[in-house]
Amino acid sequence: MDTFTQLTLNGLTLGSVYALIALGYSLVYGILKLLNFAHGDVFMVGSFIGFGTLQLLGGSTDPVVPIWLLLTLITLTAMAGCAVLGVAIERFAYRPLRDAPRIAPLISALGVSFFLAYSMQLLFGAEQRDYDAFSLGNGVLFLEGFNIGNVRVPLLRIVIIVSAFVLMAVLWVLVTRTRTGKAMQATSIDREAAAMMGIDIDRVIVFAFVLGSALAGAAGVLFALRAPTFASIGFLAGLKGFTAAVIGGIGSIPGAMAGGLILGFAEAYTQGYISTKWSDLLVFVILILFMLFRPQGLFGKADIRKV
Amino acid sequence: MKVRGLAVLALAALGAAALAATAGAGSSGVTSSQAVSCKSALKLALVTPLTGGGGFIGQEQLSWAKYGVKTLSKKYGLKVQLVQVDTPVEKGPGEALVVSQKLISDQKVVAVIGPATSGGVASASQALTAAGIAQISPSATRTSLTKGANREATSSFFRVVPGDYVQGPTDATYMVDKLNAKKVVVIDFQEPYSVGLADAAEVVLKKKGVSVSRQSTSVNTTDFSSLVTRVPGDADVVFFPSQQPSDAQTFAQQLLEQGKKAKVFGGDGTNSPDQFKVAGSYVSNFAPDISGIASSKALIDGWKKDNPKATLGSFGPPAYLAVEVALNAIKKACDAGKGQIKNRKDVVKHVKKINLKTSILGGPFRFSTKSNDPLNAKFYIFQIQSNGTYKLVS
Repeated sequence: MDTFTQLTLNGLTLGSVYALIALGYSLVYGILKLLNFAHGDVFMVGSFIGFGTLQLLGGSTDPVVPIWLLLTLITLTAMAGCAVLGVAIERFAYRPLRDAPRIAPLISALGVSFFLAYSMQLLFGAEQRDYDAFSLGNGVLFLEGFNIGNVRVPLLRIVIIVSAFVLMAVLWVLVTRTRTGKAMQATSIDREAAAMMGIDIDRVIVFAFVLGSALAGAAGVLFALRAPTFASIGFLAGLKGFTAAVIGGIGSIPGAMAGGLILGFAEAYTQGYISTKWSDLLVFVILILFMLFRPQGLFGKADIRKV
Repeated sequence: MKVRGLAVLALAALGAAALAATAGAGSSGVTSSQAVSCKSALKLALVTPLTGGGGFIGQEQLSWAKYGVKTLSKKYGLKVQLVQVDTPVEKGPGEALVVSQKLISDQKVVAVIGPATSGGVASASQALTAAGIAQISPSATRTSLTKGANREATSSFFRVVPGDYVQGPTDATYMVDKLNAKKVVVIDFQEPYSVGLADAAEVVLKKKGVSVSRQSTSVNTTDFSSLVTRVPGDADVVFFPSQQPSDAQTFAQQLLEQGKKAKVFGGDGTNSPDQFKVAGSYVSNFAPDISGIASSKALIDGWKKDNPKATLGSFGPPAYLAVEVALNAIKKACDAGKGQIKNRKDVVKHVKKINLKTSILGGPFRFSTKSNDPLNAKFYIFQIQSNGTYKLVS
């Protein structure tokens, strides 16, 4: 039972990060019908911005502000930095291709992905960057917390899971309760009709990139608090986020959240009960199975066209 | 249907991009050797990861190789230029072959210090040997490079440090004899370095009656939570032969997080006091802390003068020894060729015959007659202290 509880906790931690990445894919796909393959690299840039901010604030061994403020500041800085990056990507890589055949922005997305990964490698080197969160407050984030049976739930995991869910809730409110959110929904249903109703489509698209990229930035920091980050980490993280979005139904916000969590649990249980070596393979088997048998995902709607 | 079509298109494009990125890595070229005058500047190439996750190894090797070229070229009466060749581990072992093509075509390159990684040696050795270039590695330890029926390196490859055939058993014996380990988890990362080292340790552990649980994970894994969950609560040691010291750091922290008592025991790939510093863990390495060797004191002082901000580690001194072996052989080839190296293969012949009365690593140095490994070399074990320093314990 303890093993199951620990693996569930592992899956929930990992799954909340995947959910945040998947939301970015879904937001952009919902509005532009574009698979933004640079999204994983925005996640990577977020983790680097967080690392840089952490160093500016004294690093993990000698922070100049309290731990809660430090974590808030590095997350907000990464979110802001990634939001700006997302806007730049949309403006320079996707907007000029908005009316081009659909393969063009897809190739552009791959180009942006490689550009970001290799630029970061050139600028900051390919070595792993460790936030060393273990040293914050002499290990308080790892060693303090509460127990479920014999399983310890450390403070850091609580911070990661709660932060991810708060961000998802904020996104949900933004999309369902605000004018801009409703404009996003209208644009995702029918872009031309939305434009005719007076919705500023460019503004809606930029807003989707801001939200998606900011969430990727937050995911980058939350991930890197537990594991080292490096310039090429975005490729695999992006693929997993994409898989989570497909599982949930790409374009669906609740679907992305559910898909991320399902993927996190699947990885954790596979590693814990079957074999650690099969977990990445399993992720892509799930992707292929969904593509073959339920391409609209769990929460998406089948795209039916009159012929 | 639209989603599926677009996703299939995207995955195909991703595959094509990956193929394009690796294209050209498999070709090899041979350039026939021309005579080179020993009065001209001869080139010695250092092939090592200078950037990336293994950059700390390469930078340490570079500082000692530079110091070796500066001091020893005068001793041997040679003009030598050190060529720095970066092979980040993230680019894979094939990168060593790619960069070797340039070295092969340059007739002034008469020997290579490296490749630093075992994968790099396996990838480039054949091409370099075909061009007659000696390769003297200061850090490639995979057993199958020099031993066994399926040897991966060629007869022109030498190493100045012992292989994993020494490291695996040394580590396993220490776990049993000194740490009294009864239950050990052995992890590999599905790549040749860690699989070979894990295999070598596992055989000895099992022979000594230890209960061994073997786990395997991807080399791309950085969050080890679920792997840690699989470590039994009563396991004494986790053998973690990663090539990324920060992975060992994360793994050791996650063991503590989940309340596991097992100690992490890393191989030479995790030996980095800057990155792997969880107190009570162990690491092994192919070279000792040479600060305790009296005959090496003058060399250390000279190196520190040139590198005032650098910390003395255990990856650098073998690079100095490799440079010494190379320059000694080049000098002999020059003498035999009456002032010129007629063929780069002449250097290879003299590398094998090397016989140094004292080396920077302590004691005399020569190669075994049975393989191109150092004679009577051994591995050393360090324990990480509470202040993060490494203390030699065996």
